[in-house]
Amino acid sequence: MQKIVRLLVRFFRQEVRNSNVLFSLGLYLLGVSYLIYLLSGSTPSDSAWNTLLWVVVFFGSVQLSSRSFEFESGSYFYYYQTIANAKHTIIAKMLFNVAYMMLLSLATWALFSVFFGNPVYNTALFFIGLILGATGFSVVLTLTSGIAHRTKGNATLGAILAIPLLFPVLQLTSAINLQAIVGVTLTDAANLLGTLVALDMGIGLLAYLLFPYLWQD
Amino acid sequence: MKGSIYKVLGLLLVAYSLTYGLLTKVPDLPIIEESIRNLFYHVSMWFAMVAMMAASFWNAIRFLGTEDLAKDRRSISLAEMGMFFSFMGLFTGMVWAKFTWGAWWTNDPKLNGTAITILIYLAYFVLRNSMDDARKKARISAVYNIFAFVMMIVFIGILPRMTDSLHPGNGGNPGFNSYDLDNGLRMVFYPAVIGWILVGTWIASLRYRLKALQE
Repeated sequence: MQKIVRLLVRFFRQEVRNSNVLFSLGLYLLGVSYLIYLLSGSTPSDSAWNTLLWVVVFFGSVQLSSRSFEFESGSYFYYYQTIANAKHTIIAKMLFNVAYMMLLSLATWALFSVFFGNPVYNTALFFIGLILGATGFSVVLTLTSGIAHRTKGNATLGAILAIPLLFPVLQLTSAINLQAIVGVTLTDAANLLGTLVALDMGIGLLAYLLFPYLWQD
Repeated sequence: MKGSIYKVLGLLLVAYSLTYGLLTKVPDLPIIEESIRNLFYHVSMWFAMVAMMAASFWNAIRFLGTEDLAKDRRSISLAEMGMFFSFMGLFTGMVWAKFTWGAWWTNDPKLNGTAITILIYLAYFVLRNSMDDARKKARISAVYNIFAFVMMIVFIGILPRMTDSLHPGNGGNPGFNSYDLDNGLRMVFYPAVIGWILVGTWIASLRYRLKALQE
């Protein structure tokens, strides 16, 4: 536990020191949102709003994950091996990415509210859907970017591996968010929410079990 | 001799389903008409694909446990065979969809599932080709294979239950209901499934031996 916290602190420090990454992500969100605003005008329909939100979050998170293991390459890889084992590393990395993806999706929501208004009726359900979606995204992307990193291959490999695997999470999340927009109550959406929670936990466990095989030389 | 029994059996079952599937009496339904015979050719492809992918998944797990490269060769051979079946299922399905639903491609959960499955396994092949070191390649692609198979099952087995589909048994059970399938059809359909699985296993084992010789 202590090791996980120390790793997390380390990951956050690294992020702060390389703040240009955070800024470039923010600029991406702003740029894409404004591009949509210019092209579509200020009043997209509810389902278009939801779709566009998730397309922006989707590509933002894929872009983010492509450099998820940037600081663990070369001799740093061996350094990390000495200070923490694979299971600690994957948990810390997943928690860090969950936080990052939540920030990303909340920022996108805020930006969309500014440009296109906020059509969400049931805010609590939308928020929960966003959190669960971000969790599923970060689990899948942590594992696939770990795989891409271990191949020492090109940057597009991570995206190729991740995109088809993200679709189940994406489909469930956007279904929940669409329900939140039209104002379905929490109890009525419990079925979808339960499925997404089960999916998040299942893939989280699977990533946790598989990662040690990846994290060795 | 002993090893060839399943090959002969598989060929016989496939030959039986191909010929008898065209000759047997089928229920006369509106819209679908005689194209219901495609059940023997189209649906059996999916059953064979899932069987091949499951065997590939199982070999990937066993590779991680044993570090035996033969398991990895089996895993990739079976995945390639499963990919072949999924393309065949896709083409037979597109022809059928054009006839009964009027379009080559529809926004149906099962079609989406197929598209995702094909993308996932194409990514798996790309991943394998991006590495040279055999042991590392086997380990990393086994990890992806296991994760991908579970995601595929979620996508084709769980999500379609939550949405409506043009396929039989829509919005609920993605498979067949007891009354969807007539007994006469069963007599051809089940042998077709078993036959294709056996033939698929045979071809995968040929590919496996070819890979073993190449290395």
